[in-house]
Amino acid sequence: MEILGLWLAGFFTLSLFSFLYKDNPFYGLAEHVFAGLSAGYEVGLVYHSVILQQLVDPISQHWVNAAAGDHPGFHIMKIGFLLFAGALGVLMFARFFPKASWISRYPLAFVMGNTAGIYLMSELHGRLIPQIAGTFVNLLNPLNLIIFFGVLTTLIYFYFSKEHTGVLGGSARVGIWFIMIAFGAHFGYTVMGRISLLIGQVQFILIDWLKLVKPG
Amino acid sequence: MGFWQRVSQLDRRWIYLAVALAVIFPLLVPMKMKLGITPEARQLYEAIETLPDSSVVMLTFDYYPSTVAETRPMSIAALHQMFRKNLKVITMTTIPLGGPSMADRTMKLMGDLYHKTYGVDYVNLGYKANYTAVLLGMGSSIESIYPSDQYGTPLANLPLMQTVKNYDQISFIFIVADNGIVDNWISIVNAQFSTPMGAGVTAVMAPKFYSYVQAKQMTGLLGGMKGAAEYEMLVNKPAMALIGMDSQSLAHLLIIGFVIAGNVAYFATRKKKESKG
Repeated sequence: MEILGLWLAGFFTLSLFSFLYKDNPFYGLAEHVFAGLSAGYEVGLVYHSVILQQLVDPISQHWVNAAAGDHPGFHIMKIGFLLFAGALGVLMFARFFPKASWISRYPLAFVMGNTAGIYLMSELHGRLIPQIAGTFVNLLNPLNLIIFFGVLTTLIYFYFSKEHTGVLGGSARVGIWFIMIAFGAHFGYTVMGRISLLIGQVQFILIDWLKLVKPG
Repeated sequence: MGFWQRVSQLDRRWIYLAVALAVIFPLLVPMKMKLGITPEARQLYEAIETLPDSSVVMLTFDYYPSTVAETRPMSIAALHQMFRKNLKVITMTTIPLGGPSMADRTMKLMGDLYHKTYGVDYVNLGYKANYTAVLLGMGSSIESIYPSDQYGTPLANLPLMQTVKNYDQISFIFIVADNGIVDNWISIVNAQFSTPMGAGVTAVMAPKFYSYVQAKQMTGLLGGMKGAAEYEMLVNKPAMALIGMDSQSLAHLLIIGFVIAGNVAYFATRKKKESKG
């Protein structure tokens, strides 16, 4: 079975690479198989990890505990919460019926409010404040000076309430340079990332599949 | 047609072929190019190296199979260090597609290699949907989020999990990820529960996360295959990432050559067009 899996993976890898020469049926086959497999796997996984694990199983467990007389009020309340959340999930399917699609806005509103509440605090305490604090550095160190002026001039570049002339314009131009250097770093890393993916697949073909190269 | 004009109109498939050869050749004939270790990788290594014996660490498998060339070597190198140091490892994933099976295979492989016992030395919590709720909820009770492990065993039956209730008992979190989940680990878990953490991320993501290291929100960082190769060197277990670095370097040299040639061709042909016009 493992050998069959290896050969299938090898065949589909080469089929996908064949697109680099030109579009062909092997590429189309690999693309469709991947899309179908991913969708099927995802449906199975969501059924198992969400509907069963997070709704059906906890309801059953609380029901058993309540029936056994172990703090029945608490367990009934938990079942109520779970049924409420499940009902909100079901309401999302109202989107498929144009006349009733407005109902789906209720669970969406719940999700949006919930997400905003969680992220408001985490973004503030986890990102904004620590990142600002990260610029409070010893300016006698030349590297810290670069960080300080990089943040300052980049922020000035994004200040649009006054025309970029004079000191403001000069600072904004310096800010553009910092932004360009950041783009260059991102681009360089992206090239490295893409080449790494190619290396990974070539290693798979030469080492795992065809066994032409011994690792190490 | 002049030379530079021919270069500027080169069929892109020749470039693909050249890149493919630059990647394949060093795998067949290793060149063993020199590789330095960045301070960020060393800091991550030192953070785990200085943990006391039997400390509990969390290792996440937050990546899809498409990026295993960069991320899997990081997980394996991290596990070499953790198991060699006799740390207790709890692993989990927030990635539905492939995350659970990769965590399962890697943990079994490394656990067997170091003769570790499942449930005592390491535990695989598996996948759970809705990562925000998962990360937040584990701060109060891991068992409330994961009543059972990847294999359906209740956490109460696993000896390791009897002492680990939430992030308070976890000494370090090593995130290996190929997506924005790292932001959530930092902004939710590090910010609210002060759990020390470091990350191994794909090269595409790496530049963004240096600011977290600078702001001391993360202890260290591994960026892409280069980061994975650095960690393999640090734990003294050269493997797939280090093998791939010769190809990486050669391909980069080739791309730099193409960028220079493309620009020279552009300016040379533009000059000719202008003089004709």
